[in-house]
Amino acid sequence: MSDTNWNNYLEDIQSFSVNQGEPDWMLNLRLSALEKIKELALPNIERVRFNRWPLTQVADFYEPLTEGAVYSFDETKDSPLIVQNGQTTVIEQLPMSLIEQGVILTDIFTALQEHPQLVKKAYMQLAVKYDEDRLTAFHAAFMNSGIFLYVPKNVVIEEPVEALFFHQANSEANFVKHVLIVAEENSQVTYLERYQTLGTSQTKQTANIMVEVIAKNNATVKFSAIDQLGENVYTYMNRRGHLLKDATINWALGVMNDGNVVADFDSDLIGEGSHAELKAVAISSGKQTQGIDTRVTNYGRHSVGHIIQHGVIREKGTLTFNGIGHIIKGAKGSDAQQESRVLMLSDKARGDANPILLIDENDVTAGHAASAGRVDPDEMYYLMSRGLHKAEAERLVIRGFLGSVIGAIPLKEVRTELTEVIERKLN
Amino acid sequence: MSILEIKDLHVSIEDKEILKGVNLKMHTGEIHAIMGPNGTGKSTLSAAIMGNPNYTVTQGEILLDGENILELEVDERARKGLFLAMQYPSEIAGITNAEFMRAAMNAKRAEDDKISVMQFLKKLDEKMDLLNMPEEMAERYLNEGFSGGEKKRNEILQLLMLEPTFAILDEIDSGLDIDALKVVSEGVNAMRGDNFGAMIITHYQRLLNYITPDVVHIMMDGRVVKTGDAELAKRLEAEGYEGISQELGIELTEK
Repeated sequence: MSDTNWNNYLEDIQSFSVNQGEPDWMLNLRLSALEKIKELALPNIERVRFNRWPLTQVADFYEPLTEGAVYSFDETKDSPLIVQNGQTTVIEQLPMSLIEQGVILTDIFTALQEHPQLVKKAYMQLAVKYDEDRLTAFHAAFMNSGIFLYVPKNVVIEEPVEALFFHQANSEANFVKHVLIVAEENSQVTYLERYQTLGTSQTKQTANIMVEVIAKNNATVKFSAIDQLGENVYTYMNRRGHLLKDATINWALGVMNDGNVVADFDSDLIGEGSHAELKAVAISSGKQTQGIDTRVTNYGRHSVGHIIQHGVIREKGTLTFNGIGHIIKGAKGSDAQQESRVLMLSDKARGDANPILLIDENDVTAGHAASAGRVDPDEMYYLMSRGLHKAEAERLVIRGFLGSVIGAIPLKEVRTELTEVIERKLN
Repeated sequence: MSILEIKDLHVSIEDKEILKGVNLKMHTGEIHAIMGPNGTGKSTLSAAIMGNPNYTVTQGEILLDGENILELEVDERARKGLFLAMQYPSEIAGITNAEFMRAAMNAKRAEDDKISVMQFLKKLDEKMDLLNMPEEMAERYLNEGFSGGEKKRNEILQLLMLEPTFAILDEIDSGLDIDALKVVSEGVNAMRGDNFGAMIITHYQRLLNYITPDVVHIMMDGRVVKTGDAELAKRLEAEGYEGISQELGIELTEK
C-alpha cells in the first residue's frame, strides 16, 4: 500500500467534490489531506498490529444505487431520523417543531451547500484534525458520505435523534462516513447511531468512520451507538468529543462488529468543569481482532472523565482495551477514572486490558482497574447446580459481565437493543 | 417414591481422603439430618452428591433410583431432581435473581413447555411471601451484596421454586438469627411431602427444633457412625459429640 501513488486520485477527488457542489475550502481540505497521506504514519494503538490491514485501500467514490428500500420504518413515528444506505440518504425526517427551532439533521453534502459556515467551523477543525495521522488524512481526502446534526443554543430535543447507516457488503465503494454533531450552548440532545452491514461478501472491504461531537458551554449530549459491521469489513473508527465549559457527553457504545476493527473513542475535556462518561461493551469472536483505544484528556480545571469498558472474547477472537487517562498540567481538581475488563471464554481467545495513566498535574484524583481473566469456575458450578446447561450458564455469566455496564446506559431502548444484539453475537 | 442411596463412598480433595466409606439410604417423604463435629466430611458429602468437580470420588456409588449418577455432570444431576443449598453461594453481578430462577426452572422443562412469565411471577410472589422476602430482592443481582441471612433465604427460595426430589441443605442454619431460622425452617417444612426428601447437614441441634427429622445420622472421621431417630439429636444436645465418640471409641480430632 505504500506504493500507492496518491496523485492518481487527484482528479477523482476534484470531480467528486465538484459534483457534490462542495465549497472551495472543502475541496482544498481534501487535497491538502491527500498530499499528506503518504508522509503520515498510521495511528498507534498499543498492543494491536494492524499495519497490514487494508485500511487505506481506495475503491470507487460512488456506488450504484441499490434498488428497493431495505428499511421499512414505522411511518407513524415522526421522531428525528436519518437513514443512509451506503452513500444514499433514504430517509430524512425531522418534526416541524424542531425545524422551527433551527435544528438541522441532514446529509453532509446538503449541509455543506445549505449551511457551509456552520460546517466549516467544526468539520475536522476542533475535534479531529485532518493531519493527525494517515487514517485521518485518508478520511478527509476520501470522505464520501455522512450527516450533520446541529442543535442551536438553548434548544432541548426531547426524543432521541436516530441515525441508521447501512453498509452493503458487496459494495464497490469505500465506506468513508463522517458524522458531525454540533451542540451549541445550553443545548441538549440524545443521539443514537447504528452501523450495520447488509449481505455478505468474499472480498475485503474498507470502512473509515469518523464521528465528531462538539459540545459547547453547558451542552449535554447523550451519545449511543451499536456497531455491527460485517465479517470482511476492515474498519477504522474514530469517535471524538470536544467539550467546552461545563459540557457533558455520555457515551454508550456497543462494539459488536464481526470484522477487524481499530477504534479510538476519545474525549477532550477542554473546558472547566466539562464531564465525559464513557461506557463500552465489546465482543470479539471467530478470528476477528478488535483493538480499542479509549482516551480521556483533561485540559480544563475540575473536568471529569470516567471510562468503564467490558469485553468478552470467544473462539479465536482478540480484543484489546487500552484505557488512556491523560491529565494535562494545569487541570487542577480534575478527575480521571477507568475500569477495563475482558473475559475470555476459550483457550484460544486473546484479550488485553491496559490502563495507561499520564498525569502531569498534582492536584487531581485518578484511578484505574483492569483485569483479563476467564469465567470463574465457582460461578459456573453454582449456576449449573440449579440445572442450567453449561452453555446457558456461560451465557448468563457473560450477560452479567456485560450487563453491569449496560445497566448504566441511560436509554432503555438502547439497553434493550444492545442486549438483543449481544444474544445474536453469542449464538 | 424415589430413593437416594450412597454406598461405600470414598472422596478425596487433592489426594487427601475425607470420606472413608459412607453408607446411607433415604426415601422421598423423609427428612434426614446429618450431624457431626466440624471437619468430619459433612460438607464433602453434600458436594460429592451434587457433583462438585473439586471433589474426587475414589470408590463407591451414589444411586438415584438405582442409577449410578457419579458419571453425570452437576447440571445433569440437578435436572434429575437433586438440589444443594450451599453454605457459600456465589455472587454474580448483572444477572437478576428472577431471571436466574426462571432460566433454572426452564432448564428441565421441554422446549414447548416453558413456564410463562405470569405463572413464574405468581409462584415467585407466593414463595417470597412465605420467606418474608421483600419484593425488590427478585430484581437484585444474584446474591450480590446479600447479607448472610439473605443468601440463605435465597437458597431456600430457589428450593421452593425448583421443587427438587431430594434437597441437601448444607449448614443452612449457620449465621442465622432465630427469626431467620424460623422462616427458613418454615420454607423447608412447606416442601415436606411424599415426593420430597431432604438431607439437612448441621452442626447444631437448634435447627432440628423447627424441622423434625425422621432419621438422624452422626458422622465422625469420614463415616456415618451412628443412625437413629429424632431422639438421637436430643441426646447429642445433652451429651455433646464427646459422649458419642467415647461410646463408639472414636477419637475426636476437632479442636
